[in-house]
Amino acid sequence: MNISIKINELYCITFLKNKMKKTLLLFAATIVLTSACMAQKLDRSIKPTPGPAPIIVFKDPYIYKLPNGITLLVVEDHDIPKISANYIIDAGPVSEGNKAGVLELLSGMLNEGTTTLTKVQFSTSIERMGSEVSLNSSGGSVSALTRFFPKSFSLFAQGMRNPAFTASSLEKLKTAKLTDLKADERNGPGISAKLVNALAYGTTHPYGEFPTEASVSKIQLADISAMYRKYITPSRGYLTIIGDITNEEAKALAIKAFGDWKGSILKLPVLTTVPSPFKTEMDVVDLPNLVQSEITLINLINLQISNPDYHAVLLANEILGGSPDSRLFRNLRERHGFTYGAYSSVGAGRYQSTFKASASVRNEKVDSAVVEILNEVNLMRSEPVNKDVLQDAKNLYNGSFALGLETPGRSATLATNILLNNLSKDFYRTYLQKINAVTPADILRVSKKYFTVDNSRVVVVGNAQIGPEVKKLGFPVKHFTTNAAAINN
Amino acid sequence: MKYINLIILSIFGLTSASNAQKISFTEFDLPNGLHVILHANKKAPVVAISVMYHVGSKDENPDRTGFAHFFEHLLFEGSDNLKRGEFMKTVSSNGGDNNANTSADRTYYYEVFPSNQLELGLWLESERMLHPKIDEIGVSTQREVIKEEKRMRVDNQPYGKYSEGIFARLFEGSPYRWQTIGSMEHLDAAKLGEFQAFFKKFYAPNNAVLAISGDIDDPSAKKLVEKYFSEVPRGTEVKKTVYQAKPITKEIIDTAYDANIQLPAIFAAYRVPGIKSKENKIFEMVSSLLSGGASARLNVELIDQKRTALHVQSFYNGMEDYGVYTILAIPNNNTPLNELLNSIDGQLETLKTDLISKEEYEKLLNQFESSYVTGNTKMITIAEGLSDGYTFHDKNTGYINQELDMIRSVTREDIRRVANEYFNKNQRIVLYYLPKK
Repeated sequence: MNISIKINELYCITFLKNKMKKTLLLFAATIVLTSACMAQKLDRSIKPTPGPAPIIVFKDPYIYKLPNGITLLVVEDHDIPKISANYIIDAGPVSEGNKAGVLELLSGMLNEGTTTLTKVQFSTSIERMGSEVSLNSSGGSVSALTRFFPKSFSLFAQGMRNPAFTASSLEKLKTAKLTDLKADERNGPGISAKLVNALAYGTTHPYGEFPTEASVSKIQLADISAMYRKYITPSRGYLTIIGDITNEEAKALAIKAFGDWKGSILKLPVLTTVPSPFKTEMDVVDLPNLVQSEITLINLINLQISNPDYHAVLLANEILGGSPDSRLFRNLRERHGFTYGAYSSVGAGRYQSTFKASASVRNEKVDSAVVEILNEVNLMRSEPVNKDVLQDAKNLYNGSFALGLETPGRSATLATNILLNNLSKDFYRTYLQKINAVTPADILRVSKKYFTVDNSRVVVVGNAQIGPEVKKLGFPVKHFTTNAAAINN
Repeated sequence: MKYINLIILSIFGLTSASNAQKISFTEFDLPNGLHVILHANKKAPVVAISVMYHVGSKDENPDRTGFAHFFEHLLFEGSDNLKRGEFMKTVSSNGGDNNANTSADRTYYYEVFPSNQLELGLWLESERMLHPKIDEIGVSTQREVIKEEKRMRVDNQPYGKYSEGIFARLFEGSPYRWQTIGSMEHLDAAKLGEFQAFFKKFYAPNNAVLAISGDIDDPSAKKLVEKYFSEVPRGTEVKKTVYQAKPITKEIIDTAYDANIQLPAIFAAYRVPGIKSKENKIFEMVSSLLSGGASARLNVELIDQKRTALHVQSFYNGMEDYGVYTILAIPNNNTPLNELLNSIDGQLETLKTDLISKEEYEKLLNQFESSYVTGNTKMITIAEGLSDGYTFHDKNTGYINQELDMIRSVTREDIRRVANEYFNKNQRIVLYYLPKK
């Protein structure tokens, strides 16, 4: 269900979208921040200098491999009397074919009780302890006060291993999903999020497909069970336990709950590479109810985290649109007032991912905003960045590194990243070193390589008139329905 | 960044610590009236620096609504020593993170830095308090930015206009009747001089709390605070008016239309006591009871048993002088809104007549303990919690350390009493929220 209603209680100065400021820590590192130096008296015109850089020390998580394929990672943290665990099944991208929505329904069905407990009994048992359990098609999570963790963890495992899967639950969830799809028909930001991926990857790709009334209506209980048997399994499973628990206790709990679990063997799928458009095009979805249009420049990229370009790409993205101090924000918001925020993002991983630059802009300014977004991307591709600008971006990464330490269990996340992406063991130990070694020439090179503008899509969802400024760019303009079907005039 | 926007998250709206995790702090006043709170915590090499100004949209002139929030934007424009755009740049290029937000009651600015940048953070916030840049360029740019913010957050957002519909009717006669983002016409009409006057009136050290939380040691932090903030002049005393909303004598029924939705929604919102009241914790408990999880009463009845709702939620929005208790549902399967309203009313009636079961009571205590234990893992959350206590609970900075005990002292009878006292039809608005054709 993705209906959410917002409390308009707080208004902020900025609203950062998810960006690729991933986990950036090592297991022992020093933050290096260069900054304007000097200070004395109270000459307020001089910025204060930083104190000595804090030393960061991380403990490696305890790792144990269960015979059935589950990798257990444990991080002890006794600060608060709480323990949390999560389970990730690394199946890679899963294609749902003409039954798009089946994984989402599987997620729902996993939370509908077990073979021995009805949904109400199951959720009451968990919530009575103040615990939280949530299951989904690629694993799930549980958190509980220390004294309730063993029982909560056991319910979590039961939910995953012995789901009820009743016809009545499926009926309920299907109806809700169909209603939900109907509900989203005029939701601009929601449609844009769906459309951008559908157009970039194509609607038959696991990252581009999306549920429709037709695909959801087809889903039967047998489809849910088939997906369950194939994808809910100990194979390629990563179980992380963090908090007020010892390694030995965690291991014993994991073995007790999952040791005798058997399931299908997973292999990562091989996907064919999706080609980029031959020439950049404007893809337009008309939604007359919207007062703002969602603009997204998108292209597909191939960037493994182990790629030597990775660190430079992160910094290039930071300079272009990673934060409120980046060029897109400064241009589109602070210089022109077109938008509340403009950002870019880059994905990286084992499969094709995306480079995006986006903003929500009032309809009348879509034309100018598209031009400005392209200008900023082109600037990244044509001129080396100033050394100070690059240093600022590095400083931000170095600082984020320290700030990330506030998150409990950070080292487990990093260790999982290393395992999932097959990274070198010292990947995070050398992470900042590599960030700090990036040069302006690297930024220019990776910008040209990854931030393409000639074979991209500019997706506009809204009530925009495509005016003269964009027409001048000469992009072919294509129109689509909210379900990504081409409209031919 | 940190933007508390999902109602779903607000079940345990306030953050706090359990008995086991008392938040320690020291506090003092500077001669200019600035109240300073220090919380030393060496867990991570991080420091959060924040200033809470006791000014929000309820302090606005009725024909200049949106000023407090506008101001929040303006205070990123720079200062005598920071050129336009340099504020945010200084933060990020020194490895920090920052943001600000405005509510009806207060405005909150913060930075989170690696702990060796404490002094820089204090310099930035003192620049903002001492001599910010408030000029035409900033005003005209932020005017456009805020209009976009409103388009994004309200006008383009499915169900984005419900609170406008509720607050306007529930708080006639009080400044809570307008939205924090305010009227764009008012902002267009405002002159530069008015913004400068607003600053002078409300942004004085004696109307602010500076909280520093993280890897610091108190004596040197105190010295730095004195170094940067002592020269900020004390302002004239800010007198807070407590506004009385017009009494509601009978149920208000209203309709709102939204072009971004296909499914209607029903809202029942009650005018209830605010965060200073003893009842505020009880309302949070009621939220948990009614919709805090799959086993909560409304979820079980409407989503699982009758299957009449796609979505159901109840939450308490506690403000300084008043609160609002809202229950909403979105129908499944074309269920009429009145049928949903009947179910909601039925649940409230049950609360008024029957004590909640001992099992449910135990569940509430465990849920709150669990949530409070997790609440204070981040330095900025602690800084905000301490500042809230001082600002809104009679200078009781340690309020966050007492919240769990307050929850535990609530009895089942208290819950029934509060339901009887406040969940009555002549204290509410029912809002039919419909798709605009």
